[in-house]
Amino acid sequence: MSSAVSIAKETAARLAKAEPLNATLHWSEELLAAEALRVDGMDKPGPLAGMPLALKDNIVTVEQPTTCGSRILEGYRSPYNATVVDRLRSAGALVAVKANLDEFAMGSSTEHSAYGRVKHPVDPARVPGGSSGGSAALVAAGVVPAALGSETGGSVRQPASFCGVVGVKPSYGRVSRYGLVAFGSSLDCISVFGRTVDDAARVLSVMSGHDPLDATTIDRPPMRVPLTRSDLRGLTIGIPREYYPPDLHGGVAAALVAAQNRVRELGAQIREVSLPNSAHAVPTYYIIAPAEAAANLARYDGVRYGVRRVGTEGDIRSLYRATRGQGFGPEVQRRILVGTYVLSAGYYDAYYRKAQRVRSLIAQDFREVFASGVDLLLTPTTPTPAFKAGEKTEDPVAMYLADIFVCPINLAGLPAVSIPAGRSEGLPIGAQLIAPAFEEEQLLAAAGVLERAMSAEAEVR
Amino acid sequence: MSIGRDQVLHVARLAELAVDAQELERLVDQMNRIVDYVAQLDQVATEPQAEAFLPGPSSVALRNDVEGAKPLARLPSELAPEFREGFFLVPRHGAMEAP
Repeated sequence: MSSAVSIAKETAARLAKAEPLNATLHWSEELLAAEALRVDGMDKPGPLAGMPLALKDNIVTVEQPTTCGSRILEGYRSPYNATVVDRLRSAGALVAVKANLDEFAMGSSTEHSAYGRVKHPVDPARVPGGSSGGSAALVAAGVVPAALGSETGGSVRQPASFCGVVGVKPSYGRVSRYGLVAFGSSLDCISVFGRTVDDAARVLSVMSGHDPLDATTIDRPPMRVPLTRSDLRGLTIGIPREYYPPDLHGGVAAALVAAQNRVRELGAQIREVSLPNSAHAVPTYYIIAPAEAAANLARYDGVRYGVRRVGTEGDIRSLYRATRGQGFGPEVQRRILVGTYVLSAGYYDAYYRKAQRVRSLIAQDFREVFASGVDLLLTPTTPTPAFKAGEKTEDPVAMYLADIFVCPINLAGLPAVSIPAGRSEGLPIGAQLIAPAFEEEQLLAAAGVLERAMSAEAEVR
Repeated sequence: MSIGRDQVLHVARLAELAVDAQELERLVDQMNRIVDYVAQLDQVATEPQAEAFLPGPSSVALRNDVEGAKPLARLPSELAPEFREGFFLVPRHGAMEAP
């Protein structure tokens, strides 16, 4: 029996066992087997030969439906593959699993999928984070070694932290967005989960690089898998004080103190720095992202994609409104309404234009800190470990604040990684490293050193 | 800033979104909470002339106006029930209406 075929069978068995997590939307033994045969038949199988990967179901694929976790795209099948899908398949990956997500990637808990919530692999009463919660849960449960998610405001690093796996967000422009269903076009980044930094780096290196089909990809060579370092000597690691508030969860604070100690022991210099405008990141994000979403999701009108509902008045506008009113879930509707409101005449300057200016200040803070000689920044990924399902669903602002340490990085277009940093009462905690734009290789080399030095499974006190 | 029912309904019409009457009160409450929260940016000092930050390449290049789009993974003929000589075949006009 060939290797890819046996891997596909083992993966299918693990997927079946993981069904109670509700982490997958589409997979089949037949497609896995077909992928395995394809890989076994390749002349040059490539760097990911036989690696089974799960894709967040907002990345389009020809062979499977793409629902974005929404009723409005029920039955939709893309006539083309995303660029990342073609690149991963060419490198020998088995692409046959689509993962559950918050509808259209809008959420921080994966409770907002039309196909039901995803459960946390350690404690099913808790959320895995979001919006890429299905992908995170599959990696954390050991079903696949790596998975793709997407980030608009931290939707890979936050669930990576909650689930105790590695989550890497590349620089904006590093990976093609062609075939990623658009949410916030100035923020969206296809990103990677891995069991280890090395797994994630290998996947990212294959996906990255200029794509003529996405004008926002930067024209520079693809990222290389970083060389293994043995220590952090020669690096200056910044500790931004705004990311360590007095009310930080005790377990998270203890894990980050331990991480800082490891960084010192590994030979890096630690320097306290300030990113004062990061405090404004969540309100800035929740103006810009809904505004872009309102424009991007205007295309789902019952005419071109997915389901169609005929309105009571029988005309075309009634059809649009009925389709969108019944097809979109409550969180997506909320964001479309907020986005439409902040873009509407009379409010545009007060909200959208203002948020764009504050975004510039947030990005400028990062540029100044890195220009002062800081190589990387170390912060908590999330303010708390995974919270309970239903705990924040009635209070959207409380839910948004789960992204407080991750969304500034999206606004600034920078690369960052979350790595497991210990556990508090059994729940994983993540530490986040942030780098200047397009410094992924140094970022992931340092993350690999720190990953090996920290005890991801140990309780922190 | 307080947003009322009429304003939410107006925005919903702009967004081509039918709002369930039973959900309206909850939506008004949540919209107010969100908009009150993001309104804190009003207190941040910014330069009126500051340029908007855009990530990615410093100058997003427009593609050349040349043919060469990525071919579809499936031919149009595979997507349609009937396809002949480059055309989709559809029922004759009026053929589906009641006599």
